[in-house]
Amino acid sequence: MSFVDSIAAGLSLVGNIESFLALFIGVAIGVIGGAIPGMSATMAVALTLPFTFAMQPITGILLLLGVYKGGIFGGSIPAILIKTPGTPASSATILDGYPMAEKGEAGRALGMALWSSCTADVISNLSLILFAGWLASFALSFGPPEFFTLILFSLTIIAGVSGESLLRGALSALLGLLLATIGLDLVYGTNRFTFGDPNMMGGLNFIAVLIGLFAIPEILAMVWHPTAHVGKARSLGKNWVTFAEYRRSFKSIVRGSFIGVFLGSIPGIGAAPSAFLSYSEARRTSKNRDNFGKGEIEGVAASEAGNNGVAGATLIPLLALGVPGDVITAIIIGAFMIHGLQPGPMMFILNVDIIYGLFIGLIVSSVFLFLIGTVAIRGFKYVADIPKRILIPAVLVLCIYGVFAVNNNIFDVGVMFVMGWVGFLMVRYHIPAAPFLIAFILGPLLEDNFRQSMLMSGSDPTILLRGPITWFFWTMTLLTIIAIVRAGVRAVKNTPLFDETPEN
Amino acid sequence: MTQRQVQMRLGLGALFASLFLAFFAIPTWVSSPSNVGNVILSPLFWPYALAGFTGLTGCGLVFSGLRQSRHGPPVNAPSEQPGAAWLRLVGMALIMGLTMVLLPRLGMVLTSMLVFVSTALLVRTRHLITALVCAVVVPLVLYAFFAHVAGVAIPQGNLLRLP
Amino acid sequence: MTLKTFGAACALTLGVSGAALAEYPERPINMVIPYGAGGATDISARTIAEPLGAAVGKPLVMANVTGAGGATGSVAVQNAKEDGYTMLFARVGSHSVNPAMKATLPYTLEDFRFVTVYEINPVACAVSPSSGITSMEDLIAKVEEGGVTYSSSGVGSLLHLAAVMVLSEFGVEEPLTKTTHIPQKGGGAAATAVLNGTATFLCTNSSAIASFVANEQLVPLMVTTAEPVAGFDVPTAADLGKPALHQLVGWTGIAGPDGLPDDVADKWGTWMASATQDAEFLEKMTSRGSVIELMSPEDANAFIQGQYETFRKLVDDLGMRIEG
Repeated sequence: MSFVDSIAAGLSLVGNIESFLALFIGVAIGVIGGAIPGMSATMAVALTLPFTFAMQPITGILLLLGVYKGGIFGGSIPAILIKTPGTPASSATILDGYPMAEKGEAGRALGMALWSSCTADVISNLSLILFAGWLASFALSFGPPEFFTLILFSLTIIAGVSGESLLRGALSALLGLLLATIGLDLVYGTNRFTFGDPNMMGGLNFIAVLIGLFAIPEILAMVWHPTAHVGKARSLGKNWVTFAEYRRSFKSIVRGSFIGVFLGSIPGIGAAPSAFLSYSEARRTSKNRDNFGKGEIEGVAASEAGNNGVAGATLIPLLALGVPGDVITAIIIGAFMIHGLQPGPMMFILNVDIIYGLFIGLIVSSVFLFLIGTVAIRGFKYVADIPKRILIPAVLVLCIYGVFAVNNNIFDVGVMFVMGWVGFLMVRYHIPAAPFLIAFILGPLLEDNFRQSMLMSGSDPTILLRGPITWFFWTMTLLTIIAIVRAGVRAVKNTPLFDETPEN
Repeated sequence: MTQRQVQMRLGLGALFASLFLAFFAIPTWVSSPSNVGNVILSPLFWPYALAGFTGLTGCGLVFSGLRQSRHGPPVNAPSEQPGAAWLRLVGMALIMGLTMVLLPRLGMVLTSMLVFVSTALLVRTRHLITALVCAVVVPLVLYAFFAHVAGVAIPQGNLLRLP
Repeated sequence: MTLKTFGAACALTLGVSGAALAEYPERPINMVIPYGAGGATDISARTIAEPLGAAVGKPLVMANVTGAGGATGSVAVQNAKEDGYTMLFARVGSHSVNPAMKATLPYTLEDFRFVTVYEINPVACAVSPSSGITSMEDLIAKVEEGGVTYSSSGVGSLLHLAAVMVLSEFGVEEPLTKTTHIPQKGGGAAATAVLNGTATFLCTNSSAIASFVANEQLVPLMVTTAEPVAGFDVPTAADLGKPALHQLVGWTGIAGPDGLPDDVADKWGTWMASATQDAEFLEKMTSRGSVIELMSPEDANAFIQGQYETFRKLVDDLGMRIEG
């Protein structure tokens, strides 16, 4: 079947009102679900799944994909407005989005988040359509040694998000790595820091840690100093993102999208590291790098491009190999199977109409995302106008509900509270939170892949150098570390002993 | 707290944490089977490595702290009344502790209402009436959404059992 | 606190006389799924929830409580009130492999009362086509040469035990030293590990690898049931003369805390009987490769106990038990 035939077959499948309606509703559910902390894109997809059972396969799958795409964008709304990431993927957006909101520029930040998300979405979808086969073969060449080197390289992002002091960033990362060791050991199944509590055996819930680290310190800071905000403009304002700003950030958005496509096509990494990597790359190359972390619009653009770039690309391993890249695609694969479809190489031969129908739907979904996102921002803007001392207790209550809902476990609410105090202390001591979070996500992956590599090779470390992919990442890691060390040495040299200005 | 004090306190804290981990926490709370073939595969390897890195970072922080001036500018804006601020923090800790105790007993809705009111009072809100109204409405709306739209089993209390 | 104790005491006395529980259920029932969304247990649970909810007459609130290979969710039900309003979707991993393998598990089989087992999942072993292995004999020969690895969804999972049990049944002595276990995080990752050559083989629920087999990305070697499994054109354990492997199957059941009253258990028996008759449910489950087999509470207990003892014996013989 030729390309045109395939497209025609796909079009005949999705060219009806139900498909587009499902997609539209899906994106709307996703944006709302993503905007509710604790609800997250994952849960929104899981909740929508049962409704798809009775639908046509393509309609149901488009509904779920709409929820997924909408959810990843929706997460940035609370991240910017109330410093609570709606989905883990939007935690990088906080770094610059929330300072912008504090300055009364929430409208600009949200607008940029939307434009950047939609651009990344389009790039990601096009990559899926054009490079699915090629990227999929690439994905399967990622075994534990390749993962280990990729994650080692990703950990160098920490230097980019450490802020004023690299050492404090490192301390933050180590804290994250240590807390991530809680739970059952992967290889032997023995306890590590669980204190015999079954709730600890599963490890600390990621979303509870995330919300605890970002949202609760904000509440505690308010308790510490209730009138600090008085006199500061916080309303959404009339200002909206301008095309000039979009053009200025365009390079970062495209770079972030491709980082997202690359990391999305490899199963098991997910959107959060991609957003952070994109952010730190944007900061590294930007002219305004000193403004990053203080409300730089390009930072918002880069993070959102990084996480939305993943959304289309995670479908590459799903469709081409039948391998889910993260929890959300694992649920979507369930929807395929319920309808008797088996994603994998054969699907491109047997169900080519469905594949192309999905492609068409995905392209349309970017447009829907833009429309619904614009409406949603208008709807949510009132949050910025709520008096802060009413908003804060409401956020606290929302966090309690949301964190409970993630795993139906009251213990997680406690984890959130405790992490809130940790986060508050970190703020007082000027320790950045982002390295903690990156380390908390990547630490277990690093350890697991290292040990899996060692199991594969019978403890022969040369397996970590087994192919071009590993060589590539080792080189990248070394280059980055050299650059970091040189920058550090220069900073120390430029700071005379007992100078009044802080070093690093 | 000056920049120097921050670095010094963190550095010493990290050094202490590293020693605590290496000599007490890891041997006590990380168990390892006896039949581990290779030391790098042991469940203890990674925690010990992390303890080591923590120690190194601690040394680095102390070193960088020693290089800095004793009389730098304070890094945090001073609070207007430190005593009252500390009391409020203790109050918040109490609210959180009580939340954990009350959640399984009173249920999530009633507990959240209490949390809302007490937090709003703690931050001395200017809109007391609004706060009270919100304290009743917000938990109820969230309950309706999470329990009936999202299908989450929100904990119900012994006193009040919502439909 | 006193109020709660008083309430519990009331419920207990009334429960014995059967007066209050005559109307069971008078409110929605919490159904704990100890594994994550999209997994085999989750899909199975949510599929039966529809006809089951109709039979119960009150809503069933599904709650995924994940963590520690099903232990976190199981403990949540173990500690719940024994009033039948908190029930568990128990699974082979959480309720026969884990208790057999983990000395550190915070619960035992005695802490639960099973009201039914409704689904059986055949187990299939598969390798990657690039390995050149096409039959169990090839695999065993490779094992004797050394260097064979197998993936699983984690220590103490069905996949972990299944690989060891199959090897041991096929005459491999000391399977723990001749092969290497490469645990992964979750069943999806375990299958991917075989796809990309990280591990040589895996033994898992046939439904988990059915699409890979259909797409010829994995080569199946055998299934552990007596009957052939649709889509798997391979010998059964019976064909290979290993009837002991028939014990090695996945299952999903429903359990409550240990002190669940008899009349509640009886009600579940009736509800399940009508729910499993639902045509749509049957069709969905069988199309995913499950065998629907409704067991009475007594049969379910005997079945799980039997499987547990088989597994426990193997674990003890090989010294696989996880202490500490």
